[in-house]
Amino acid sequence: MLKLLLAGAVAVPVATVGAVAATGVVVVDVREGRGGQHLVIPIPLAAAQVAAAFVPERDTRLHLGAQAERYLPVAREVLTALAAAEDAELVKVEEPGQEVSIRKEGSLLHVRVHERGQQVDVQVPIAVALSALPEAGGRISVSQAVWALQHARLTQVVEVQGADGEHVKVTVY
Amino acid sequence: MRVGMIALAAGTASLVMAPSPGTAQGAGGGAWLHVRVEEPGRQSKVSVNLPMGAVEAALKAAPDTVVSAGRIHLGSEGKSVSISDLRRMWAEVRATGDTEFATVEEDDETVRIARAGDVVSIHVDKPSHREAVRVEVPVDVVDALLSASGDQLDVRAAFTRLQKRRGDIVRVNDEHSSVRIWIDEGR
Repeated sequence: MLKLLLAGAVAVPVATVGAVAATGVVVVDVREGRGGQHLVIPIPLAAAQVAAAFVPERDTRLHLGAQAERYLPVAREVLTALAAAEDAELVKVEEPGQEVSIRKEGSLLHVRVHERGQQVDVQVPIAVALSALPEAGGRISVSQAVWALQHARLTQVVEVQGADGEHVKVTVY
Repeated sequence: MRVGMIALAAGTASLVMAPSPGTAQGAGGGAWLHVRVEEPGRQSKVSVNLPMGAVEAALKAAPDTVVSAGRIHLGSEGKSVSISDLRRMWAEVRATGDTEFATVEEDDETVRIARAGDVVSIHVDKPSHREAVRVEVPVDVVDALLSASGDQLDVRAAFTRLQKRRGDIVRVNDEHSSVRIWIDEGR
């Protein structure tokens, strides 16, 4: 009986950890500047997806004008075409004190902005961008977009370094 | 200003005539559209490199704004030219063969439109040599564009032709900036 209890006690957390690891975890790491707080918040993707499913229907609808809605299929086609293209630096803007670069790297769009001591790095899986595009009627499928983060496993999707030493990282494991 | 307008029109035309994803991947291979804008005075450089498939997808939204009611609208001053007039003019131009068929000399600039082989070139120069626009459009791209009947432009057919083009399409140099738009196989 004791053995059964022990096995259960070990199996439940192991199964939970296994399930979380299998479905993915988003880790938000926030380090405040100048000796401030350091927060690390792990969010299982499966939990985020379940939570996203409870987002009220009205909050998943964007009020898009007819003009904007017309461009949605275009945006979808552009992203699809980019996904199929070879890796390349798509856009680079260099100005004194500022540099912006958008690269296509595998299945990711890598946006890098440097501006006077601040640095923002965003790696968006193209699949996530496609999922995040509103459907007809301006509806965004939040849970689908969250689930699409599965395509970004082992990727640091966001890194922001502020001029005052603050540092935010969002990584999908 | 006029040089800028011509450059803008040429740039728009070249972009509108970018090839489609299907065709670009076909006969043209992996063609890419490149845009470089440099402003040395401001130490500013912009570089855009896009696969033709993405360009064509992005420009699906454009034709309505370029052509409406069978007319191509130029600039914001309400000037327009009908497609049928354009087709007639082009037929005459095409029949003349290699020649310089238009030269406009004004105090502040000279515009030359000429055909040399399979390319129609538009050159705009300022006497100071500080500003220049060079636009090169393959003859068969214009043929394809105007191959539809009535008040329609066959943009898709033009895409198919333009995908074979490699090299510069537009070059603009002025005192403060330079713009280059070209197509090649590389990224």
